[in-house]
This record gives sequence, structure tokens and C-alpha cells, in this order.
Amino acid sequence: MAEGAAMQKFLQLDSDQMHNFDLDHGMSFIHDDDNLDTGLPFIHHVDSDQIIYHPRRRRAKYIGKYLVGDVLGEGSYGKVKEVLDTESLIRRAVKILKKKKLRKIPNGEQNVQREIQLLKRLKHRNIIQLIDVLQNEEKQKMYIVMEYCVSELQEMLDSVPEKKFPLWQAHMYFVQLIEGLEYLHGKGIIHKDIKPSNLLVTTDETLKITDLGVAEELDAFSKDDTCRTSQGSPAFQPPEIANGLETFHGFKVDVWSTGVTLYNITTGLYPFEGENIYKLFENIGKGEYTIPDFVDKSLTSLIRGMLDYEASKRFSIEQIKQHEWFRRKLPRTSEIVRFPPLSDGDHLRSMTVVPFIEDMLCGEPSEDEYENEDELLQFVPNRNNQITEQTLQNEIFEEPVPDPKHKKRKEKVSGTRRNKFNACTQS
Amino acid sequence: MPLFGRSQKSPQELVKQLRDAVSALSKGDKGDKKVEKASEDVSKCLASIKALMNQSAEQDSQSEFLAQLGHEMYSANLLLILIQNLAKIDFEGRKDVVHIFNNLLRQQIGTRTPTVEHICQHQEILIELMKGYENKEIALRCGMMLRECCRYEALSKIMLYAENFFDFFNYVEVSTFDIASDAFSTFKDLLTKHKMLSAEFLENNYDKVFDAYLTLLNSENYVTRRQALKLLGELLLDRHNFTVMTKYISNPDNLKLMMNMLREKSRNIQFEAFHVFKVFVANPNKPRPIMEILLRNKEKLVDFLTKFHTDRSEDEQFNDEKAYLIKQIKELKPPEDS
Repeated sequence: MAEGAAMQKFLQLDSDQMHNFDLDHGMSFIHDDDNLDTGLPFIHHVDSDQIIYHPRRRRAKYIGKYLVGDVLGEGSYGKVKEVLDTESLIRRAVKILKKKKLRKIPNGEQNVQREIQLLKRLKHRNIIQLIDVLQNEEKQKMYIVMEYCVSELQEMLDSVPEKKFPLWQAHMYFVQLIEGLEYLHGKGIIHKDIKPSNLLVTTDETLKITDLGVAEELDAFSKDDTCRTSQGSPAFQPPEIANGLETFHGFKVDVWSTGVTLYNITTGLYPFEGENIYKLFENIGKGEYTIPDFVDKSLTSLIRGMLDYEASKRFSIEQIKQHEWFRRKLPRTSEIVRFPPLSDGDHLRSMTVVPFIEDMLCGEPSEDEYENEDELLQFVPNRNNQITEQTLQNEIFEEPVPDPKHKKRKEKVSGTRRNKFNACTQS
Repeated sequence: MPLFGRSQKSPQELVKQLRDAVSALSKGDKGDKKVEKASEDVSKCLASIKALMNQSAEQDSQSEFLAQLGHEMYSANLLLILIQNLAKIDFEGRKDVVHIFNNLLRQQIGTRTPTVEHICQHQEILIELMKGYENKEIALRCGMMLRECCRYEALSKIMLYAENFFDFFNYVEVSTFDIASDAFSTFKDLLTKHKMLSAEFLENNYDKVFDAYLTLLNSENYVTRRQALKLLGELLLDRHNFTVMTKYISNPDNLKLMMNMLREKSRNIQFEAFHVFKVFVANPNKPRPIMEILLRNKEKLVDFLTKFHTDRSEDEQFNDEKAYLIKQIKELKPPEDS
């Protein structure tokens, strides 16, 4: 029995080897019957999907001093990946921007440049901190290194059926949101796109306002906060923008969208909806909305104050901070809504750089995880190209040539590799 | 023995015991046997209150114990008494006073913060705390309590508008470095934590504050000078202080001061001065006296700025701003009517 299992392992390895071999010769597929040639009495069946989707090993890749881990998310400009600062050993996130993609987005490059300029000047507990900006001219890529955040509010909301937070948790985030916003406004910056998907959370429940891509900085000498343009998300826009007013007061725009955010995270609903943007803007323009009955008096009055149709009567940040609901201390009565586990079931969202480090140090590549979706698509034809291209960049650590001694262990490496750092000590 | 005894003392008993012990401590002279005993009692009481506080925090019955304790402390006016006698309490005891004070301060019942309300009614507590900077022994402890107070707007307001606030201009310059920096961080908190409050304060007391501030900017002490300059930049560039900024950059004396500071020996001071200086130049409505100074020094300034901190090539923002300033100064033209 034991021997059989070992044999099976061997066979599977063999097929992998063949598979790799074929790749190098530019052949596209392996036939399921390759194994038959071994002439052994049992046939190990290898599913085609296993073969096709196992081409690349995890490669430890560097961006400057940052060691790259898994993809955290994808924005309109490109991917966001987790990285590890190899000097300080601090977890970071890197936004990878492809210049080609950026050029296709109206004002894309301009917005990114402006966002970087803005972020450089900002330092506050509740604003995402810019750490580093790197360029790769050859690849036409730009890397924006930022503080690591474990999740965004939107993702957490989406993970629960009622799509809202318990009151105390909503309060905890709201207070921090207001702190961050007050700081931004103090710097003369109007965010213009406050919404749950632009609010990140760190592992210690600190809220970070992110995405200043459409933010506007007031001239230091302009007497008021008059703005003319807005590119924020429709559902979070105030009546003055929905009605297409020429000019409006910027700070009050942020107050409105923060009010919509508060409404959303406490009720799971939106104050204004519409089948399309025209209907939506029509509804916002009318300014009529209802607050569900389960919302208490104090919170209702705060939301009403923040969603006042008249910008001039709408609460200021100062008034929000004075409001009873803001000042209230809410006991932790119910279970916290946590960020959802990763697709592999990791509830803690532990550092995804670890498996890459293991592979780099042990020369024991696992074949059970892919680097990213790209590889699935560009599987065979691009493989050779990619290698040469990347080698030129001096960014990657060439994967050590697999030692034949190690090959037998390959199979042991399973999907639960995470956190098994001690594997490195064997040999 | 409240610490080890079976029966736990009620907050009422604890507070009474502490008050009696402190009063005995305050009356006697040093070296007196009675005083030594009182000092021991005070520290014991403080330790057991602190222990109970921590214990109740863990048990989540915090609010009840804290509320009772607070209530007793307020009615005995013990917060004030403790602070008045802080210098006589021993080292561990002082630490416990800070712990108890800050914990009580953070206590919240609904939207009410009873300790904050109590202090509002007994402003002497804050005055005593501020005066604490004059006593080396307790300065840092008082600093810790003051900064906790700074988190509450109502308390910040009392401190800002108290005559004693202006003592901070001396405290930040005292020769003991740690006390001076502690005082500076309290000073900074008072001026930056509550934007609207401090903006209003600075507007209403503009002359008095900025006259005093000048002494900090001209201080012999490098650290004071640098910190003060940095804070000035922060204050002026915060939009909440728009009115104050406009006023500040209309005064030619302030411009002269910054121009001199641009040429200070210390590069850090030069750099901080740059960030204040730039506001004068960027102002689109420069008053005539400011304009005249800039015009008179046009060539020199362009020359100076071109060579100014050229090694900061990494700092894009700084270089952009510098380039902008040079351009602005080059394009300066005398007003038509002159």
C-alpha cells in the first residue's frame, strides 16, 4: 500500500516533469496517456485542468527592496499586491500602475501624479500613508508603496447578509472618518469621493481614508471652498452636484458623502437609489429620502443634519463633532463584523509573502499555487518571453534549479503551506 | 489592609481614607514621623484604588465602580487636593495619581463625561496642573495629565483662555530639556487639537500671542527656535487659521524675520523658514510693504533661492515650490501707481 502511494507520487511528478519539459519546447499540451509509457500495472489519471493550470511555480519577485506577495485587490488603474519591506520587515501594499493602461483613462496620469503629490504632504493616523514611489521605465510600470491595510469597509459590508455594521462598530469607524476628514479639510483638500470602498481598515481597526485620485486641493489663498468639478461616485453625490450647479462648496460635498456613508454602514441601505444615473440624480435632486424606523433619534438627527439639502445649512465637521451621537460612547454589545477570510480560507489574512520566501530559501518550489491570474491566460505561448523579459529587469530571484533530491518532496507541499516556515530547516 | 484583606473597601471608604491621609501629609513637615506614616498611607490608598480600577476594567463592570469612585472624588474635591499635594506624594504614588486621573477623565456615561464636567466647575485643577511645570519633581506627571485634558475641547478652552497659558512661553524654554519638550507638546496640543477653538483663540488674541511667539522664534535655544518655527508653519498653513495667516503675512516684520531665518546657520531652521517664507511670496494680494521688501531684494532672493538646498533633489515638492517661488519673484513688478 505504502509503496503504491509512493509510486503514485512518483508518477505524478513524472508527469509534471514531462509537462515542464514540453513547455520549454513550446508544445502546448500533454496528453493524458503519457503515463502509460511507464508500463506499470496501474494508471494514474491526471486531470487535464491540473496539468494545464500548473505551469508556473511561485517565484519570489522583488520590486526594489520589496518582496512581492499575493494580489490584494484590483482597481481601475491596476493591481494592488501585498509586499514585504525586506529592510524593515514591515508589511506594505503596492499599487502597480501600467502606464499603457493609465493613458487610456481620461486624466489618468494626471490624477495619479496629483494623488502622489497630495499624499506626500499628508501625515495622519486616518489617512493612508504613502511610503515610496518606484518606477520601472523598461516595463512602463509605476509602483506606489503604501501602508498595508487588511480590508476595506465595502468588502466587510458585503460579507454579511444585512450589509451593515453593528452600531458601535459603525460609530468607531465614523469617528475616525471624521478625524481624517477634518485633517484633510485643514490642509485645504476636498476628497470628493468618500464612500465605504475608499475606506480601508488595518488589523488594529484603524480606519484609513484612501484614493485621493479625484481630490481637489484649494488654493491656499482662496477665501472659500468653491469647487467646479466633481468626479466622485454618483450615489454619494449631493443635490448641488446632481442638479448640475456651476459651483458648490467643496467641504460640504464631503460632509454629504460622509453622511451617505454613515447611512449606508448603519442601515445597509442607500438614501437615494435609481435604475440609472439619470434617475439617481433626479432622486438626489429632489432630496427626499427616508430613514428606517430602527435608527434611533440621535443618529437620525445626525444623518438629517449631514444630508441637509441646503449646503449652507448642512452640518460642518465642527457641528458633527459636537453632535450627541458622535460624542456618545457605544458599548460593544454585539459581535464585530470582521473582514471575510481569503479565498483559501485564511481568516487572519496572514502575510502572503511567506510562501515566496520559503521557496526562495528552500529551493523547494510548490506547484499548487499560481502567481496570479495573468499566468492562467498567457500560459504557454508567453512563457519564454516572460522569463527573458523579467531576467532583464534584475528584479526577480531566479528560481533555484530544482535539486533532484528535493523533487520527491514536492508532492508534500500542499495548499496549506502558509505559515509552515519551519519547512526551511529540513534538508 | 485593602490590598490583601478579604473584604473589599467601598469607593466611599477608600476616598475618605485617602483624603484623610493626604490632609495629614499636607500639614506636617518633612522628617516628621507622622508625615512618613501619612505618606505611606497615601501611596497604599492610591495603589489599591488603581488596582481596583484595573480589576473592574477587566471585569467590564468598570462603569459602576468608576462612576462611584468618581462621584466620591468629586464631592471630596480630591482631584484638586491630590494635584496640590502631588509634590509631597512619593514616586510610585505620583504615578498612580496620573493613572487614576486619566482613567477618570476618560470615563463616559452616554454622552456625558462627568470628570470633564467636574473639572469645568473646578478650573483650579487645570491651573494647578499648568503650574506643575514650575516644579521639576512633578512637571512630567502634570504634563501627562494635561495632555489627557487637551483631548477635551471644553478643558482646552479653559486652558487657552487662562492667564497661565502664557506661562507656556517660558515653560517651553526652561533649561531642563525633557520638561521643555514636554511643555512644548502640551502647548502644541492646545493650539492644534481643536481647530475651531484654537483658530478663534488665535484671532482674538492675535497680538498678544504673536508677540510672545516672537520670543520663541528669537530664542537662544536651538530646539525651541526650531520647534516654534515648525509649529508656526503648521499653524499658518492650516485652513482653519486662514484669517490668522492672512494677518501674519501682511506684516513686513514677520517677512524680515523669516528672511533672516532663511540664512540661519542651521539647515533645518533654514528649511522650516522656507515653508513660512513661501506663504509671503505666494500670496496673490501682497500688501505694499511686503511687496517693497521683496522688490528691493529681488535679485538677491532669486540668487539665494537658486542656490538654496540644491542637494534636496529627491524632494520633488520642495523643488517645485522653490521653482515656483523663483518664478514669482522674478516676475514681481512694482505696483502701477508708484
